[in-house]
Amino acid sequence: MKNQLLFIAVIVLALAMVFGAMGCAPVDQEEEVSPPPDEDVDEDVDEDEEVVEFDGEIKIAVTGPMTNIQGEMMWWGAEMAMNEINEDGGVTIGDETYSVRLIQVETDEIMDPLGAVSAVENVIISEDPHFLIGGFRTEAVMPYTDLVAQDYQKIFVICGAATNELLEGRIDEDYDTWKYLFRVTPIKSTDLVTVTILMLNEVAMAVREELGIEQPKVAILAEALEWNEALVQMAPQIFPTLGLEFVGTFRPSATASDVTTELRGIEASGAQIIYTIFSGPVGIPYGRQWGELEIPAASVGINVEAQKSGYYPATDGFGDYDYTLMTFAQNTEITPETIPFIEKFVDLYGQLPNYNADTYSAVYILTEAAERAGTLDTDAVIVEMEQTDRISAAGRFVFDENHDVTFGPGFVTALGVQWQDGELLGAGWPIEWQPDPENAPDLVVGHEGMVPYQLPPHVLEQWRE
Amino acid sequence: MAVIRMSMRYIRNEILVLPTRVIAVVFVLALLLMPLLTQDMYILRILAIASIFAIFAASWDLLSGFVGQVSFGHALFFGVAAYTTALLNLRLGWPPFVTIPIGALAAVLVGLLVGIPCLRLKGPYLGLATLAFPIMLMGIIFVFPGFFGGELGISGITRLASLRIHEYYIAVVLMLVLCYIMWKITDSKIGIIFHAIREDEIAVRASGINTIKFKLLAFCLSGLFAGIAGGLYTHFLRIAGPSMLAVLMSFQAIIWTIFGGIATIYGAVVGVFILFPTLEVLRAASEYRMLIFALIVLMVLRVMPEGITTFIRDKLERECPRCKVRNAFNRKECRVCYSEMR
Repeated sequence: MKNQLLFIAVIVLALAMVFGAMGCAPVDQEEEVSPPPDEDVDEDVDEDEEVVEFDGEIKIAVTGPMTNIQGEMMWWGAEMAMNEINEDGGVTIGDETYSVRLIQVETDEIMDPLGAVSAVENVIISEDPHFLIGGFRTEAVMPYTDLVAQDYQKIFVICGAATNELLEGRIDEDYDTWKYLFRVTPIKSTDLVTVTILMLNEVAMAVREELGIEQPKVAILAEALEWNEALVQMAPQIFPTLGLEFVGTFRPSATASDVTTELRGIEASGAQIIYTIFSGPVGIPYGRQWGELEIPAASVGINVEAQKSGYYPATDGFGDYDYTLMTFAQNTEITPETIPFIEKFVDLYGQLPNYNADTYSAVYILTEAAERAGTLDTDAVIVEMEQTDRISAAGRFVFDENHDVTFGPGFVTALGVQWQDGELLGAGWPIEWQPDPENAPDLVVGHEGMVPYQLPPHVLEQWRE
Repeated sequence: MAVIRMSMRYIRNEILVLPTRVIAVVFVLALLLMPLLTQDMYILRILAIASIFAIFAASWDLLSGFVGQVSFGHALFFGVAAYTTALLNLRLGWPPFVTIPIGALAAVLVGLLVGIPCLRLKGPYLGLATLAFPIMLMGIIFVFPGFFGGELGISGITRLASLRIHEYYIAVVLMLVLCYIMWKITDSKIGIIFHAIREDEIAVRASGINTIKFKLLAFCLSGLFAGIAGGLYTHFLRIAGPSMLAVLMSFQAIIWTIFGGIATIYGAVVGVFILFPTLEVLRAASEYRMLIFALIVLMVLRVMPEGITTFIRDKLERECPRCKVRNAFNRKECRVCYSEMR
């Protein structure tokens, strides 16, 4: 019997190796990567240029799944900001000048969300960072925001998790305990819903104009996860107000590799629009099959996979014309900072920045708040953080009463992006968005460079026939 | 004075005679005295979590190592207790010392429910059947996200104790006590029947022993201890999430136990206390960490196929050929029967 158990042991270990090869580390990791910038050797520095000597350093820990694209984006965004700040002479706090130093914390929170807390505590104890930024998976961010705020009273700027409850119900109910938490990116879940509904309206208008269908039919295709539950329940009630007819909800797994059944069901329902809500890898098989099967319904909503540069090749081009929400687009000037930021990011890292890359803004917001406070004292910096009003690549950053990024016209809005002939372009919304046409008819929001939304050719062809 | 003298005699005659017992005592003392050596919150966290996982791994050893009921879904007990504990604490406001025992009882109930359909299964069939249960429970969690929190889990739970040092002592002392209880169970008459069921169930039944009763007892006992670990972990982390039911969680218990030495109880504890901190140390190689970890485990098992504790014990001690009592490797005659040690 013992021999049998040992045989089983070998099988289990072999499986563990497979998990290992897939990068599925079971517990958290922390690793300091960046050398102190003031020790960097910059080959491009002019010999005559004065070398800045810093009096100290501001340590910022970047926590995230660093071996995944989300963590890489977090790191790259923060690194870009760090280099810019240090090259510009650092951060002046009182009479002293500080450099910024980043500490990379591999939390492995996608595979082992609960182990992430140890990695965060390790970096707090070993490095004593002044601030922390990052966090992706809510199941991980919840316990490590508990730790950071309650046990260590350090400022943590969330740059990856959208769940409302990370801030709501905390800061508004017990300010003194939770005041250390802020969110820069993305906008909170309920605001994401608002944006997708506005994007859906754009698609509905296109269907009416180009297909002559007065009341387009909409099917919801949402991965079976809790974060979108409220949206799935709420959306059918909103559809009639947009002049849309709801035909049904389809819930594949977030990791499904085949959604043919759901797509055929949608086709049979006669829907002209598919309202997608995907954060998981199901977004890729969906995009491929939606195009390959020529499902006669335009795709709009959230598809995190479609936000990535690799989406088009991953779907063999069948994901073309998928329309999803995003923070940046290469052709869209949200503010004067947007295009330079994107161009520099693409130049340095070869990829379009996604919403996680706005750790870039988080580093600036933190260091500017410290500069205004004239101290690195946490409470003083929090007071200045609350006064933040900064134009950044994603929009104007002002924190609301929950320390969340303010959503709306003139602040941060996110935008719609569509794959058009293999290019990911800012499209459709907001071009001429009137947030309050009755009370403020002159208020029109739009970003320069955006292109009109296009209905997929196969949808046009099939419905015209 | 007499008590001191008796204690000294006990230590000299029962502990110092065997190197492995000396190592065990040093390990226990080191754990208990650790906060005197360091107050580092991170070290205390890692050791506290290792203690909780040691209870979990030892509970797998009790069921699979001793009774031979190989479970690939041991995270079920851990997860059931974790969610029960979290819900009771969050919805009813009950404190950890109430929620953890109730969570453990829920795990016992689940142990019974799992045990009954699995009674007729053996070997890989039993393994696969047990693997299915946590996956089913995870499905239920996603079907009722409003109640179980879906993929976000249940957060906002009361911490185990107000100070880390208190949490550390709760975890360590409970680990020592519970593992001692498990070890005593395996050393009792029930333990002998467990051994016998593992080796030859038909022979046990032929002896007139109701093996069904004992197998169900093993499932319940294992569920109880794994459940206590699940409850402790939930209050320590202040969240119960679906990853507590993940396949990886079940596999970890198996790896720790087999690495340390299966069917020993203390092997599971040693396995956790070596491998869990090793993974922390391997952070430097983040991308290859799990691969390096698996290679280390495989290499160690190649050299020590019955686990590290069994290997060390066999190197440091020898069994008397006459009375079967263990003796230190350097003894020339048995400490009990004075037979010559060959």
